[in-house]
Amino acid sequence: MKMADGSTILRRNRPGTKSKDFCRWPDEPLEEMDSTLAVQQYIQQMIKRDPSNVELILTMPEAQDEGVWKYEHLRQFCMELNGLAVRLQKQCSPSTCTQMTATDQWIFLCAAHKTPKECPAIDYTRHTLDGAACLLNSNKYFPSSVTLNHRVSIKESSVTKLGSVCRRVYRIFSHAYFHHRRIFDEFEAETYLCHRFTHFVTKYNLMSKENLIVPINEEENAAPGESEA
Amino acid sequence: MGTNSGATAGINNKPVGGAAVLGVGVANSAILTNSLGSGGGGGLSISGLGGQNANVGGLVGGMGGAGGGTGNNGSDDSMGGPGGGPNNQQATTPQYTIPGILHFIQHEWSRFELERSQWDVDRAELQARIAMLLGERKCLESLKSDLTRRIKMLEYALRQERAKFYRLKYGTDPPQLNEFKPSSNDDGGIGTDVATDSEVPYSSVSNTTWRQGRQMLRQYLAEIGYTDNIIDVRSNRVRSILGLNNNADHDGVGGGGGGGGNAGGIGSGGENLSPNINGNESNKRASESEGRHTPAKKVQQSNDAIILDTEAAVMANFEFLGPTEMSDDDEISDDLEMVATDNEDTDVKMAKRPKSGKDMLTEDLEAEVGEQLLNDMNLITEEVDGSLGLGELAQLTVNNESDGAYDANAKDGTGGSAGGAGYRKTWNAKYTLRSHFDGVRSLIFHPEEPVLITASEDNTLKLWNLQKTVQAKKSASLDVEPLYTFRAHTGPVLCLGMSSSGETCYSGGLDGNIECWQLPSPNIDPYDCYDPNVHSGTLEGHTDAVWGLTTMQNNIVSCSADGTVKLWSPYTKEPLLRTYTAAEAEGGPSSVDFVRNEVDHIVVAYNSAHCIIYDTETGKQVIKLEASQEMSGNTGKFINKVVSHPTLPITITAHEDRHIRFWDNTSGTLVHSMVAHLEPVTSLAVDAHGLYLLSGSHDCSIRLWNLDNKTCVQEITAHRKKFDESIFDVAFHATKPYIASAGADGLAKVFV
Repeated sequence: MKMADGSTILRRNRPGTKSKDFCRWPDEPLEEMDSTLAVQQYIQQMIKRDPSNVELILTMPEAQDEGVWKYEHLRQFCMELNGLAVRLQKQCSPSTCTQMTATDQWIFLCAAHKTPKECPAIDYTRHTLDGAACLLNSNKYFPSSVTLNHRVSIKESSVTKLGSVCRRVYRIFSHAYFHHRRIFDEFEAETYLCHRFTHFVTKYNLMSKENLIVPINEEENAAPGESEA
Repeated sequence: MGTNSGATAGINNKPVGGAAVLGVGVANSAILTNSLGSGGGGGLSISGLGGQNANVGGLVGGMGGAGGGTGNNGSDDSMGGPGGGPNNQQATTPQYTIPGILHFIQHEWSRFELERSQWDVDRAELQARIAMLLGERKCLESLKSDLTRRIKMLEYALRQERAKFYRLKYGTDPPQLNEFKPSSNDDGGIGTDVATDSEVPYSSVSNTTWRQGRQMLRQYLAEIGYTDNIIDVRSNRVRSILGLNNNADHDGVGGGGGGGGNAGGIGSGGENLSPNINGNESNKRASESEGRHTPAKKVQQSNDAIILDTEAAVMANFEFLGPTEMSDDDEISDDLEMVATDNEDTDVKMAKRPKSGKDMLTEDLEAEVGEQLLNDMNLITEEVDGSLGLGELAQLTVNNESDGAYDANAKDGTGGSAGGAGYRKTWNAKYTLRSHFDGVRSLIFHPEEPVLITASEDNTLKLWNLQKTVQAKKSASLDVEPLYTFRAHTGPVLCLGMSSSGETCYSGGLDGNIECWQLPSPNIDPYDCYDPNVHSGTLEGHTDAVWGLTTMQNNIVSCSADGTVKLWSPYTKEPLLRTYTAAEAEGGPSSVDFVRNEVDHIVVAYNSAHCIIYDTETGKQVIKLEASQEMSGNTGKFINKVVSHPTLPITITAHEDRHIRFWDNTSGTLVHSMVAHLEPVTSLAVDAHGLYLLSGSHDCSIRLWNLDNKTCVQEITAHRKKFDESIFDVAFHATKPYIASAGADGLAKVFV
């Protein structure tokens, strides 16, 4: 029965695998994932299948703890944001973007330091991602048992941390959008990441609407051209 | 007599109207009326008797009633009535009045009632106590049978594990069957009886191995804090619970053995050799006919049956393996070590095994045997009676004396097998490196500092300083925060290399690039300003994922899914020195390493499961490592990793078919092959002196091997699975006592 399946499909990337074949294996239903990282596997599988189908990716399976679901999604966002950071590193230097800004309304202070600092945009980006990586992997706030199975939940105090991570991380999108539009568009066309992120924070009410300043296609199709700063 | 009858009527009325409780009241009223009577004889109830005597009698009667008058209350004469009263002598015979007697009877009756209810209460109490004791007994009985079953299961598990380890270590069948001769002193009646009567070579041996198993169990328990004392105390306790003493134990066993001498018992014993339930059933029949002693015998037989079952299963499991290659003298001690190091993983592994599809056949067999074993146990425990359980338990403790000697031997053996080192280091997880969002594909230590770099599928590399730690809550291990995150790859980072100076590090990724990095200071502030110079260059040339990377002096060699192996000299004008491409039939390269004891040679593993050694200068193939017969039909023998021994002309390969193989570089032949893990071996590392080999596998464990005798020194379960992958890389620190593992669960762990 199940063992027979396992013997035919081994989901492994063996050394020497071509990049087009990386992680190219048949989907595994969530119920059959007996790994401790099932939720992450499931999310990555959905993204792999079609990154543009944001709605489907964000559709929570039944009997899934919402805290864990949000947590795993946020991990995935931070991970994929590395891709945007890599692109930004090439163009966004401390000399060109001395401050973390999106529109001219706000200067964002970097919260990675003991006293929030006015870091250059690229530092802000890196520090925010590094800090998020540490926080989201922290054994204190998110003990590794949270991902053990579908039932275990995350404690409420830690769930509230997700909101602040979202807010900070979102500024990377907005900075890229308003200051490095080409990079943003390329990245977005490939990953639909900002699109997905906006949906995510709206759906789970992790950020207030007025903070979501990057227009995503559905709402303002091709409109945002004028806001380039 | 009118008064008399009146009095009688009054009396007759009294019991009806007054309850037993009123008795005293009646007496009182008699006394009362007595004094009244002297005043002029009122017509009141009893006291309407008139005459003094009657009054006195009434008084006495009343007194008698109140005092519970013992003596004459039964005589009819005195009951005769007040009429006769005056004639009797007042001093000698007490005067009984009807009301007095009635009152007395009432009183007695109430007393009896009271006592009866008391008895009822007592009875209920006792009954409750009986019920409680019965329950207790039942509970103890079930506990005992449960313990018995546990013992059997543990023994079985130990046996399986031992066999497994033996197989993994030597790649052959366990040879216990022939190696151990029972010493006649130690054997109980059973072993010898069975051996002589039924011509079964196994029985005595299994007895020995069983004891060995028990010994191992004892060690196991000692490890988790069960000293011998506790064990003994416990077994004594169990026995006292059973209400039997040591002598009885011995008798039971001896009797059982003696019973075995009878034709019936032996017949069933013989049948037990075939590992099926029928044997046990016939056993049951035999035991039914044999009376009291047989149950003990039966346990013994069933145990034998179980042991034989187990052995049969082990044999079946190992049938596919080749003939015996070696058998060491210190086998016992090795086994013990392995049990000691592995005990915590046993369950996990047993639980996990069904997942590996390859072993379906053997797995099924195992499962079957396991099930059968359970059946057997149920069979036994269902009919457990005192003596039966006793036989079992007695076995546990009877051999204490011989155990001592055994211990000493085992210890000597351990000392000897440690390669003369006298002591051996046990590695423990100390640092957990958590900050990657996805699987850690590779890690590498700084050559001198306690610093390492990890590369992950989350597209980043991270720098860690083991001296900058954060105490993790509630555990002995320390969390380390990353110092620096290297970002340049646009896909998962797959492999790492580091220059011998430790200043530069190289990473290969799924994006086909090799990135060069200048290591920041290990004391950098994690939230320092971005320094673009850390990323010091990209080696472009591969057109597909770079899977292998290794350094030698200033050169690096890389292998890629584009089918090529490239030699680079970074930071020069033309960094790409040469490209090596194998024949189409070999497939793509999967791993690469410099041949360490020979300049200008590299060894490349190909999808064909062959390794080819190239001369880097000429680009020509020097030799191909292939074993003619063993590698024929190379399906599943895929090589995940190849490493070169640091000092000897030996190449070591990690295979998808769970083997680690050793090759002679000069002759190109296979030197040694061993099953090393339960699932594909993914990674290898050799320590700087070439004494130890570290291997990682998708079975979630890393193993440390003594390269001298190819034995497993330690196994550590280190990581969890993601999909069907678990451990991606292992590493030794070149100069400090650190080893590390990197896993698909996004963690890296460092052991000290």
